Amino acid sequence: MIILLLFTAIFGREVPFTANIGIVDSDNTPLTSNIISAFNDTTIFNVEIFKNKTQALEALNATDVRAVITIPKNFSLNLTTGKNTYALLAIDKTDPQVTQTVEGTIKTLFSEFYKEIGNYTEPISVIEETSLMREEIGYKEHIVPGMLCYPFLFSSMVAATGAIVYEKHKGTLKKIRASPVRPLNVLFGKTLAALFQTAISILIIAVLAVLVLTPKVNWNVPLMIPIMFLGSMNGIAVGLLISCIGRSPQAASSAATTIGVVLQFFIGMYFPQEFLPTYIQQIGNIIPMTYAVQAIRSIMLQNAALTDILQPIATLVVSALILYAVGILLYKRWVEKE
Amino acid sequence: MTEKTVIQVEGLVKHYGEVTALDGVSFSVKEGEIFGLLGPNGAGKTTLMEILCCLRRFDEGNATVLAFDLIKDSRKVRGSIGFCPQETLLYDLLSVRENFAFAASLYSLDSKKFKERVEFSSKFLGVGEFLNRKVKELSGGMKRRANLAVSIVHDPPVVILDEPTVGFDPNVKREFWELIQDLKNYEKTVLISTHDMFEADELCDRVAIMDKGKIVALDKPDILKETLGGETSIRIKTKEAPKKAVSLLKEYKCIMRDDEIQVFVKNPWRIVPEVSNKLISHGVLTEKIEVVEPTLEDVFIKLTGRRLTEE
Repeated sequence: MIILLLFTAIFGREVPFTANIGIVDSDNTPLTSNIISAFNDTTIFNVEIFKNKTQALEALNATDVRAVITIPKNFSLNLTTGKNTYALLAIDKTDPQVTQTVEGTIKTLFSEFYKEIGNYTEPISVIEETSLMREEIGYKEHIVPGMLCYPFLFSSMVAATGAIVYEKHKGTLKKIRASPVRPLNVLFGKTLAALFQTAISILIIAVLAVLVLTPKVNWNVPLMIPIMFLGSMNGIAVGLLISCIGRSPQAASSAATTIGVVLQFFIGMYFPQEFLPTYIQQIGNIIPMTYAVQAIRSIMLQNAALTDILQPIATLVVSALILYAVGILLYKRWVEKE
Repeated sequence: MTEKTVIQVEGLVKHYGEVTALDGVSFSVKEGEIFGLLGPNGAGKTTLMEILCCLRRFDEGNATVLAFDLIKDSRKVRGSIGFCPQETLLYDLLSVRENFAFAASLYSLDSKKFKERVEFSSKFLGVGEFLNRKVKELSGGMKRRANLAVSIVHDPPVVILDEPTVGFDPNVKREFWELIQDLKNYEKTVLISTHDMFEADELCDRVAIMDKGKIVALDKPDILKETLGGETSIRIKTKEAPKKAVSLLKEYKCIMRDDEIQVFVKNPWRIVPEVSNKLISHGVLTEKIEVVEPTLEDVFIKLTGRRLTEE
């Protein structure tokens, strides 16, 4: 039911998403202002005006905008004198679904504008510039980073969920608690086990992805490992929280699986965040794993360097610390309640 | 057994909401002693043991194990105790040896000590024959032996056993009693809880009888029976009219329990013919007349008016 609702929320909308686009108006006439207004009036685009093309392409590189439309000089003159005219389009092709929608909408808008003003003989051509992004990127390239993040939810979180509640249910936690081992060490041990399980899952997925999908992505393993580690730690911390309050292994496992299934939509694992309804994006923004998915995708698809992903790393570190602190408190409180 | 006190409990109180599980429990256990906590289910035995193992907090009182305070020196207390609860706390999918290794890691045993302890358990507890088998493949008796062996893998001076033989058949139970008694030879102090009066009688040097969170009597089993078990009783089962029989025997101290008349006397063998004649002369036919020496159950009945096995 939850899945059905989420699919409906994602796919059953008239407006699939909102994308930022940049416009460089080198002609700067009332006519071009009308075109910019037409873009602004759509519910799909948020238009940002750039003074020059260099700035606009930097924004495109930084993924601040999905596309840059350059209106050349004499655009209006050519159009009003019946000559050929064109607009240049540079587009982020990282995500094929988004690319298709953005490109299609921009071309349609220019076409509609031409029809509307109707007095002119030549249509407006939208000429695609040499893409600044890699043009080979397809859905499989997009999905591989998401798949690599799958274990954050379904290995880290689910494994950690079973950790405490299973021992509690089986009674073996009694043996551990009757030993001189500190509660923190118990959580640390459980974390290590879940981390190991997650690492194995990620490795299997990575090998299968390489063998089966052969994606053209950047395997910057040294940079991916810390993100994977932090993403896993956040998943494990959430799992431990569920485990501390779970009444039975079955109940905790069901809760973790349900949460995992729902979260995979929120964190942008399969669909880019822009493609999601705004309220889902907002929920996704408060889920730490979202930042891990974003960072992994930036590394693999946009060749991001460490400096480009410092913000998600910081977010993941802070959230892991907070979640662990809450987990330790919950575990201690549960122990003390005995 | 020495005079050194290993476990000291003073005025321990534990509440679970409105329910008082322990109500001012005090006792001490000497070094090398097998000390029994005897009482029915709900008497507070398990709560008391879990408090001593630092698994539960208590509300009032204080307690020490080997002079270590349960709260201040909790880790030292836990390191000194081998706790074997009534349920088998082993990982089913691991072998007995792997369970040993896990337990040894909890107590930071080095590999030499670990090897020694596995060898000891193999001989002493007879776990050698199934050391490499998975726990899920073992019989109930084997699991219990493995459970005890794993509980004392760190060679603790104090062993706490919570109803260790519950659910055993008589032969396995007796075999297990021998193992527990052997622990004394290895200078272990054993605290055992049970609701089996024979087990307490057979195993324990001293027994504390618990009821409703209180210790109602504490001494050596023989002394308890002698002082509190009352007179030896004559148990009579009549074919009919048991109430009439009770009224006929009102000159003696007697009670009716489960269609059986219990007559408490000091010299049963002298009284039996007298009782028998009296019943027969009044037309009360008997099915059985037997002399029963007092047991710890009698002590419990005398103290609480209830049987040990009653809920």
